[in-house]
Amino acid sequence: MTAMPKLQLNGVRKSYGATKALRHGDLSLDAGEVHVLIGSNGSGKSTLCKIVAGSVRPDGGEVILDGQPVEIGGPQDAKAKSIGIFYQELSLAAHRTVEENICLPSLPLSGPFADRRAITERASRYLKLFEGVTGEGFALDTPVGHLREDQRQLVEIMKTLATEAAILIFDEPTSSLDRSQVERFFAVLKQLKTEGRSVVFISHRMDEIFEIGDRVTVIRDGETVGTLKIGDTDQAKVIALMVGEGATPRSGAEAKNPATTIRSDITPRLSVSGLSGKGFRDIGFDVAPGEIVGFGGLHGQGQSSVLRALFGAAEVAAGSIALNGNSVTPADPRAAIRLGFAYVSGDRGRDGVIRGRSILENVTPVHLLRAGQRLLDPADLKQKARPALEALKTVFAGYDQPVTALSGGNQQKIVIARWLVDAPQVLLLDDPTKGIDLGAKADLFALIRKLAEDGLGIVLYSSEDNELLQNADRILVFNGGRIARELAGDERTPYNLYHAAYEAA
Amino acid sequence: MSEVTRTGTETGNANPTLGRALALIRQPIVVALVLIVILLALGETLSPGFASGQQIMRLLIVAALLGIVAAGQNLVILGGREGIDLSVGGVVSLAAVLAGNVMNGADIGIIPALLVALAVGGFFGACNGIGVTLLRIPPLVMTLGMLGVMQGLLVVIRNGIPSGSAAPLLSTFVSKPFLFGIPGILWLWVAVGLLMAFMLRRTVFGYRVYAVGSNEQAAYMAGAPVKRIRVALFTLSGMFAALTGVCLLGYSGTSFSGVGEQYMLPSIIAVVLGGTPLSGGKGGYTGTMAGAVLLVILQSILVTINIDESGRQMVFGATLLVLMLFYGRGRTMRG
Repeated sequence: MTAMPKLQLNGVRKSYGATKALRHGDLSLDAGEVHVLIGSNGSGKSTLCKIVAGSVRPDGGEVILDGQPVEIGGPQDAKAKSIGIFYQELSLAAHRTVEENICLPSLPLSGPFADRRAITERASRYLKLFEGVTGEGFALDTPVGHLREDQRQLVEIMKTLATEAAILIFDEPTSSLDRSQVERFFAVLKQLKTEGRSVVFISHRMDEIFEIGDRVTVIRDGETVGTLKIGDTDQAKVIALMVGEGATPRSGAEAKNPATTIRSDITPRLSVSGLSGKGFRDIGFDVAPGEIVGFGGLHGQGQSSVLRALFGAAEVAAGSIALNGNSVTPADPRAAIRLGFAYVSGDRGRDGVIRGRSILENVTPVHLLRAGQRLLDPADLKQKARPALEALKTVFAGYDQPVTALSGGNQQKIVIARWLVDAPQVLLLDDPTKGIDLGAKADLFALIRKLAEDGLGIVLYSSEDNELLQNADRILVFNGGRIARELAGDERTPYNLYHAAYEAA
Repeated sequence: MSEVTRTGTETGNANPTLGRALALIRQPIVVALVLIVILLALGETLSPGFASGQQIMRLLIVAALLGIVAAGQNLVILGGREGIDLSVGGVVSLAAVLAGNVMNGADIGIIPALLVALAVGGFFGACNGIGVTLLRIPPLVMTLGMLGVMQGLLVVIRNGIPSGSAAPLLSTFVSKPFLFGIPGILWLWVAVGLLMAFMLRRTVFGYRVYAVGSNEQAAYMAGAPVKRIRVALFTLSGMFAALTGVCLLGYSGTSFSGVGEQYMLPSIIAVVLGGTPLSGGKGGYTGTMAGAVLLVILQSILVTINIDESGRQMVFGATLLVLMLFYGRGRTMRG
């Protein structure tokens, strides 16, 4: 006799109009386990989670909690049934403090009023779990709007933990976190396991999945295709299950990256020296035509700031930038774009997607600036946008469709395509694959390699070490706003990357 | 091909025809047009002759005056970041008074008067824009402050006494048939409508206005000159208001310092009625034109049933609040 599962979903279905978001969702969650849910974007994982959390009503199928068939009527009902969820799109109140946000799901009351002392006391319990990894400027009374993205994600995690629910669902909780924060979070999850609580964990990061998961359930095209014990499987098997039959795991880094020899007689596409600004100091590096230079290291060590400074979106206090040997000082993104810089942000909601506007309007702004046009010819613009969108294998119904109707991965492709309508000189990629599915990632990196072959200089910052190891010709490891180490050729190993990142950190 | 194109429709409606009909009904401009017909019918029942051709022409002239101010208001609101121009009424008054004094009843003075009015309107609009972008003063506060400045200026200039007079040609242009039996101001309004449509749909500037209104940061990162655009929007708003000021002078023959005050709230309501949410980034001028007509008819009905100015103000205020319930609620803030 095996123990009864804590929560079981059998053949759960959900359609939105003609779109079948979930066709046949199965999940069996034991008490005291971390159960990983994996599948490409739009495969139905989030819908499955929302059904468990009560924010989406299923069209059919069974939900069995503690052996009893139940109907989860809404988020309040889920709370009553001891189910807590971390939402991928953060749901924090920006103007309220950290402690208030942590306690928001069930505010301690004294009579009709919020009990401030109890709030502080309860919030500090959860803050303590993450002591030392929360970063600067993080305190219980800090308004959440003042925090960095990784810090806000930590608050959302603490808020979920504070529900003290028996079933906790984390929908991509680590997308912005650095290594040390992720490790602390995993330690907390392990503690929860020993308390017999159940965790559903969604992530796109293979290494994390294998580090924390007990079992993994793979969802493909709205259907549960299998559940594996993590101990009995490996990455290749999981990927094969995700992608479907016939797909072989991708080949490793070595085949893709012939060791690049940087010839000193070629003028670098981009040459940076002594660059200092807020969050980084004395940064110097060259990017040769056709080279992909990786920025590595823990999250928030200045990588993004350097890229934004090169793009004119952050202040430069000192140092020089040369493009094709000519000294340049991009004062703002507009000037940088005119010079030939392109910048893709991982925070597409903030820096990339022009929400509510059409796909055409989202693809063309950079082209219109570069071409110096004042009048529009939509038909001509569609012609010009097509090759860029096709190169990225973007799936969309029409140019006039609102961009927000697309899935996250396709939205990011639209934002990237914006830069490819006219080829730039230097492509700055600031964690461009955050939150997009594996298929889209593969398309993206194939394209980046092709662009490099066309002679672009590319700088790639990624929070995922594997992406750097597989795609960058050289990796500059950042630590505390400086370049701590350069890894080239055979030095590009996970061990060296971790080691350099953690040095003196 | 197994690739599924997601369209993002979440209506789940079984009947596509019904779904399309519902979508059409949700279009603010359709709502406005339907309401226009209903209100005209209502007016005709209350007071026979309300919907006569001549009366409708008079209503349209009044609507054109409002519609031209609302064009500028529309642009400022489209630009987002709580864009709103509360100073339009002050500009209308100032332009009317200045134009009246410059032309002083002589046809030859129309062009100089118009240029002076547009320059002054553009100047105050640009000041609004600079205050909002460079000094980071919220538009609501900035334009309200500017309204105060202009009201003060009017007192200094003419102490509120009616002054200056419209040139006969201007009065004819505004209220008498001009071409094909239609008054010149309606042709002017049509021209403004075409200009707005062209600017918003066929120029890079228009694309950028929508982009800045939808996601300012993303527009900035894609190379839009955000500050310049916003200053331009406020400047245009001042100029459109000044244009209405000059036409208003022609409509009423003379001008006094408070003549434009009636335009502040209605210009905002017309924009929202026409489907441009106060959060900006979507909508357009065609709807605003319908909104202006609707509002003028409503006003006229209120006059017909003997509701005085204060009562009309209350009705307008309430209308704006009710509209907020339906269209005005912007996007929720993102964490």
